[in-house]
Amino acid sequence: MDYLIEIQQVTYQYPTGEKPVLQDVSFQIKKGEFCAIIGPNGSGKTTLCNAIRGFIPHFYKGELHGDVRINGKSIKDQTVGELSLQVGFVFQNPFSQISGVSETVFEEIRFGLENLGIDTVVAEKRVDEVMKLTKITHLQDRNPFELSGGQLQRVALASIIVMEPDILVIDEPTSQLDPEGTEEVFEIIRLMKEKQKTIILVEHKMELIAEYADHIILIDDGKVILNGNNEEILTNEKVLEHNTLLPQYAMLGLELRKHGVNLDRIPVTEKQAKEELTKWFAQEGQIYV
Amino acid sequence: MAGDNILKLNPLTKITFAICLSISVFFADYPYALGCFIVLCFIAGFYRILKDYLIMLLKTLFIIIIFMFILQALFYPGHEIVWQWKFISIKQEGLMYALSLSSKILVIGGSILLFFKTTHVKDLVSSLEQVGLSPAFAYVILSTLQIIPQMEKRSRQIMDAQRSRGVETEGNLLSRAKAFIPSLGPLILSSIVGTEERAITLEARAFSAPVKKVRAHVVKETPTDKWLRILFISLLILFMIWRVVLWII
Ligand SMILES: Nc1ncnc2c1ncn2[C@@H]1O[C@H](COP(=O)(O)OP(=O)(O)OP(=O)(O)O)[C@@H](O)[C@H]1O
Ligand SMILES: [Mg+2]
Repeated sequence: MDYLIEIQQVTYQYPTGEKPVLQDVSFQIKKGEFCAIIGPNGSGKTTLCNAIRGFIPHFYKGELHGDVRINGKSIKDQTVGELSLQVGFVFQNPFSQISGVSETVFEEIRFGLENLGIDTVVAEKRVDEVMKLTKITHLQDRNPFELSGGQLQRVALASIIVMEPDILVIDEPTSQLDPEGTEEVFEIIRLMKEKQKTIILVEHKMELIAEYADHIILIDDGKVILNGNNEEILTNEKVLEHNTLLPQYAMLGLELRKHGVNLDRIPVTEKQAKEELTKWFAQEGQIYV
Repeated sequence: MAGDNILKLNPLTKITFAICLSISVFFADYPYALGCFIVLCFIAGFYRILKDYLIMLLKTLFIIIIFMFILQALFYPGHEIVWQWKFISIKQEGLMYALSLSSKILVIGGSILLFFKTTHVKDLVSSLEQVGLSPAFAYVILSTLQIIPQMEKRSRQIMDAQRSRGVETEGNLLSRAKAFIPSLGPLILSSIVGTEERAITLEARAFSAPVKKVRAHVVKETPTDKWLRILFISLLILFMIWRVVLWII
């Protein structure tokens, strides 16, 4: 099996840091996969994203051992400019994503396309489409500096997906969004997956990860603790030992199991929880009723 | 912007005019410079901004010129005393020198102000980028322009915050300075942290992608622009030659 992204024994220390922030991190991501990275604050998730995008080592100096390969090619051998054609990066802080040269949201989203040398007519069409997709058409004439955090987070996402990179690295895109906005963002990410994009998402909202992600990586203190498919990780109680939550349905399942309720499997999504509980009620629920 | 529908010239044409005019005043005496100033006023009138323009000149250049007149009139060495009171005296030479200097300042300052009053800086930067200014440099100028109003807003917020903590931000100059200086700290800090992130921000938007950029905002360059620039520069050269020849013989 060929992997699109290969992280090989990456150890990295910031120039100002005292100890490595990433320690011997290795994993692979397949093309078209939706991979969620979870872990507590300060565990190195953003740093890992920076390494995948090539900002480490191209912008952040410091000691980097090991290698990150995209399409079989080391990021060290590519310029950030070349990488920008393949990997889109949505920052954790949407304020640091605004270019600062645009007077309107429309121009802001178009900025990346100008840099990619896309013809103006085509670019405007793409901007319109992406604004519709991210539901920000009504903001198109506003000054990006005057948007709320949640609005800006949508603009930041739009201004990256409009560039249509094959790989999307998205760092906590919903931290400032309300529940509805969060669902919408996940819906957009799902659409991207349908378009065969490979997605790496850092996120804390476990119910949504359970719903959408294929592959989950738990990191803590710069080390990969768990690496596996969705259900494998989200039903693993070990996750809780690392200051990270499990989806509430999995928690429920685990709790029920502890109390002797014999579920066939631990559910991770709402749908699975319903199925499992209905099945269980049908079998032996009546005893308790 | 003023004159948008009246005469759309490429910013480079306008700036060529401003520069040629400014150079030319060094080759002639004050009557010429005052004549140039009248031309500037006519242009401002043509763009329908004469009133604004004159007010702006009053607010900026006028103060400098008055100040200079007083200094030169009093302290320029000379013999022909025009007016005297105790040990203070105004001399003819001083007045002439001040007149010649201030008329030049009027033309140089006046043509620069007129240029910026009739040109979007965005257009200026775009036109420079079209003739080969590096995109990174263009970015720095444009983002600074965008950020200045933001900084003003931030500094107002910081001042408000200071005031709400009981720091005196109004009143005399000293107490205002005392309030302002601590507010610089957070302001500068937040701007610097901003610039560090800037480079990465730009990269995230493919700024150094190995392709030729397309700019949606283009400034037109018409044959008129080209001919006008050639005209301004030739006129300047002819004028300079004429003045130098006159001066030698
Ligand atoms: N530019 C930097 N220079 C030095 N140290 C840094 C830098 N950025 C992050 N760190 C440190 O690296 C560690 C990991 O930070 P990182 O931002 O990758 O965590 P994270 O998992 O993204 O956390 P969060 O969930 O809060 O976003 C932290 O201890 C942090 O203090
Ligand atoms: Mg982070």
